[in-house]
Amino acid sequence: MSLVLDSIEICLHEAPLFKPLSLTVPAGTIVTIMGPSGCGKSTLLASICGMLDPGFSLSGTVSLNGRCLNGIDMEHRRVGILFQDDLLFPHLDVFGNMAFGLPARMSLGQKRERVDRSLAAAGLEGFGGRDIATLSGGQKARVSLLRALLAEPEAILLDEPFSKLDDNLRGSVKEFVFEQIGRLNIPALLVTHDRSDSADGAYIELN
Amino acid sequence: MPGQRSRLKIFPALALAIFLLPILAGLLFTWAPAFGYLSAAGSTHFSLEPFATLLRHPSLPGALRSTLISGVGASLLSLALALWIAATLYGTRLWSVIELSLAPLLSLPHAAFAIGFTFLIAPSGWLIRAVSPYPSGFTYPPDWITAGDPWAVSLTLTMLFKETPFLLLMIFSGLSRLDVRRTIMIGRSLGYRRLRIWTRLIIPQLYPMLRLPLLAVLAYSLSVVDLAYIIGPSLPPTLAVLIDRWFNAPEISSRLVGAAGSLLLLFVTLACIVSALALEYLISKVGSRKILDGRRQSPFEVLVPTGSLYALVLLAVNLFSLLALILWSVAHSWRFPHFFPTRFSLTNWSTPLRQLLEPLSVSALAALLSCLLAIILVVGCFENEQNLARTRIASISQRSLWIIYLPLLIPQISFLFGIQVVLVIFHLDGTWPALVWVHLVFVLPYVFLTLANAYRSYDQRYSYVGMTLCGGPLRTLFRIKLIMLAKPILFSMAVGFGVSIAQYLPTLYVGAGRFATITTETVSIASGSDRRVMAVYALTQLLLALTGFLTAIVLPAAMFRKRKAMQN
Repeated sequence: MSLVLDSIEICLHEAPLFKPLSLTVPAGTIVTIMGPSGCGKSTLLASICGMLDPGFSLSGTVSLNGRCLNGIDMEHRRVGILFQDDLLFPHLDVFGNMAFGLPARMSLGQKRERVDRSLAAAGLEGFGGRDIATLSGGQKARVSLLRALLAEPEAILLDEPFSKLDDNLRGSVKEFVFEQIGRLNIPALLVTHDRSDSADGAYIELN
Repeated sequence: MPGQRSRLKIFPALALAIFLLPILAGLLFTWAPAFGYLSAAGSTHFSLEPFATLLRHPSLPGALRSTLISGVGASLLSLALALWIAATLYGTRLWSVIELSLAPLLSLPHAAFAIGFTFLIAPSGWLIRAVSPYPSGFTYPPDWITAGDPWAVSLTLTMLFKETPFLLLMIFSGLSRLDVRRTIMIGRSLGYRRLRIWTRLIIPQLYPMLRLPLLAVLAYSLSVVDLAYIIGPSLPPTLAVLIDRWFNAPEISSRLVGAAGSLLLLFVTLACIVSALALEYLISKVGSRKILDGRRQSPFEVLVPTGSLYALVLLAVNLFSLLALILWSVAHSWRFPHFFPTRFSLTNWSTPLRQLLEPLSVSALAALLSCLLAIILVVGCFENEQNLARTRIASISQRSLWIIYLPLLIPQISFLFGIQVVLVIFHLDGTWPALVWVHLVFVLPYVFLTLANAYRSYDQRYSYVGMTLCGGPLRTLFRIKLIMLAKPILFSMAVGFGVSIAQYLPTLYVGAGRFATITTETVSIASGSDRRVMAVYALTQLLLALTGFLTAIVLPAAMFRKRKAMQN
């Protein structure tokens, strides 16, 4: 299982954002992409998950587990994404947020059991009925990641997910995120402008 | 800032007084005649006779039917259409076109649009001309009732095409407070298709912001008078028109029946509002059970392309109604079945222009004054709200300010007669203060509604920074906050200006015949038969309203032409 970017180049009005990029992210590995603000890190992630804004053009190939993703709708790519904001849905409680990504074939009882197990493993036992507004920043970050992972993506993209967390939380949330990705054994791509956020795997400077 | 905080309290109090006093007095002095008490008519005993006369009236069942069809139909269809357009077109180029088109669409006054729409759909209108004489074979207009039909379909369509842009504006405003783009990304990364993301993630967050505007549309559609005079059924007319006729009938006893009718209309409106809330509750209950079923694709996903079609129809109807007005205003001779006038002339404009000077100046002055007063009150209310928020009692301030929407939720005709009675008692009928006040009652809610999201989304930290740099809160308000919010403030004023221009009943009832505005003149001309004069009046009404919107677009663009960050 791997995420492969082959000669990826993104242009805005025909001006390339960065040099053509090729890399392979093996399963269970987190590759960090670094670069200053505005260098195209988030745009690169948008191109991988299929949400490139109009105005940008993409050349090169993105493939996941041997499947070419170019031209495939985002909802069929099986790529999870995590932003710096938790983006938890405010009209749903913690259980609702997490169960939203579970497949239709599961009954409500099965979904509840699955979410409860996941919450317990994350140290959030009994949080299912909680309103998301009552969660701390670290709890929200964990719920947000769990929601993405429960949908069983084949790869996950992390768009500066720790940048809004304070120093006390940052270490523990980072550890939690990396541990969960390792456990699921999927490729992950992390973009950040802060070297201290990077994972132990390879890192690439975007320029 | 305790001193300033206490001074700010006066704004919500004033705003509430502006509504509550006339509405309560208006309702009271309308209800008394409804129960037979109107001393001016020599009726000084309470009785149920007005209701008995009302219920016996042969026009009542038909009037109720037209009112419900057009009012409920137009509101539900407008909501459905606006949400469908948003859900199917968000993020596309057409969505941006709609956003750009909203100001001109909203600036087209209801009466002007209704006249233009009539020119489109009438048997001798543009639509039939487009297919005549080939392939329809019509060399004379067909004997059809397409405008003013007894089932109020044309009235329903008119309101649908006018209210959808308003609800779209509210949707744009609501969406600006949500992180829609990334919510869609999250939804899609979890495997959901477009419609499912909208129905399960975005609309549940958006709808609370649409609730009051929707109820306002419902109340308006059930009680509209000017549009119903122009394009509504006539035998019998809608209930609101029937009531207006009773209030203006020569025999004074008819006013008692009119008052009873206005109470019935109020009851019908409240019943529809309660039903809408009950329906919303039911849908949210059923929806909350469905929301986690995990089904990624809606069976209606195949219909997504129709969103473009509906949006184009909406834009085209407005555009062609406007074009029809323009052509008729310069047509000298335009016989059926010619698609274009055969002779053009500007003489249609020369005579009415002289007659229009007074209505134009009255309209502009009343709109300007009510608009300025409204913006002062609204900004004061928001400032008070934000001050209260700092003292952690924001919820109380926001709860009390919902009353601002009251004039939009109560049929105008249900309390305007009462206001007229009160003004007569105090010899204030037909005066400028009364006219501006009654316009303010209806302008203020719209100004509040259109400015609320932008004002509440303002990052207060700019003001904190400002206070550390340039001194007091008042100076910061004028030098930083109001300038940064100039664009939405001017836009909300333009909306308020347009609302004031479009006021028909309030001007008639409070003006006591002493004020002729462009709208009262346009509606009275609309019952005539000369389309050229109707077109000139409707276009003049449009141009006046457009002035406000153009100012709201051009002024900030000029002010901030060298400030890129202020141009979004």
